[in-house]
Amino acid sequence: MIYSLYIISKAGGLMYQKDFNEGLAHLTANEYLVFAGTFHGVHAITSKISPVRNSTSSGLEVLEADSFKLYCFQTLTGTKFLIIADPTHANIDLVLRRTYDVYSDYVMKNPFYTPEMPIRSELFDVNIVKLIKQVGG
Amino acid sequence: MGSNNAGTASATTSMNGQPDGGDLGGSPPHSAAANNHLASHHSTTSQLTSATSMFSDSRLVNIEEESKLVYGVVRTLRNLVNKLSGNQDGFISYRTSNYKLHYYETQTGLKFVINTDPSTESLRPVLRQIYTNFFVEYVVKNPLAPVGHPGGEGVNNEYFKAAVDKFVKNLSFFDS
Repeated sequence: MIYSLYIISKAGGLMYQKDFNEGLAHLTANEYLVFAGTFHGVHAITSKISPVRNSTSSGLEVLEADSFKLYCFQTLTGTKFLIIADPTHANIDLVLRRTYDVYSDYVMKNPFYTPEMPIRSELFDVNIVKLIKQVGG
Repeated sequence: MGSNNAGTASATTSMNGQPDGGDLGGSPPHSAAANNHLASHHSTTSQLTSATSMFSDSRLVNIEEESKLVYGVVRTLRNLVNKLSGNQDGFISYRTSNYKLHYYETQTGLKFVINTDPSTESLRPVLRQIYTNFFVEYVVKNPLAPVGHPGGEGVNNEYFKAAVDKFVKNLSFFDS
């Protein structure tokens, strides 16, 4: 079961947030923004505090909690896709990449979209919901 | 600060050239059970009371700097998780491509953190054991230890260090 999807810009701003299933506490619009910003900062630090010397260190990829798992996929351009799902849900990596496909098709290819700004596209919304339904959200 | 690098040399030598433990095949040999922070906090101040590193030469930033960052990250993530899930004690671990950080918090707010390679399963029981078997035994039950352990005093004691060192090195997945 997939609870929610976040898309965070490379500057740490929340570009998109959608809840698909009940199960997590509801936050206010402002708290979602704070969440995105905080996560962005923590993500940057987690790549710095690696105990092993390896210059190609990614930031946080999976966060495990007792009631959910949070998966983060950072694209080469710095945009972060976050999916919060049930701890038992498998193959979230695939879902994240397909979310990126949908984002590329319906957001980046939209000539009226300003990069880094909140995503307000009906077509994107519809296709994301379809994708999540397909993978058993 | 009570940081120390006890056992660095022996840990590095003992982990190389040993046969794979089996249960965690595929993990790179250089990153098994990499290091171990035992951070404690009182009220709202951050204070590292004990940090043991098995492979101290491999870190990117120095241990004092790192311990502050670890504390900040762990506290932030704990708050994020608690806000989202609505209950306390929700944060278990996070993983990056290089390492996995496991977290355990006691009822009194002591935070135990251990870093391992990314493929290790949850070490919360291990951290709990470190707390109940070693921290309580050698630190809490020490009548001479100061209240609050300023600067890691009290936690920085020989018995605790040796016991934790031995315990972590004897874990089945330590050098697999």
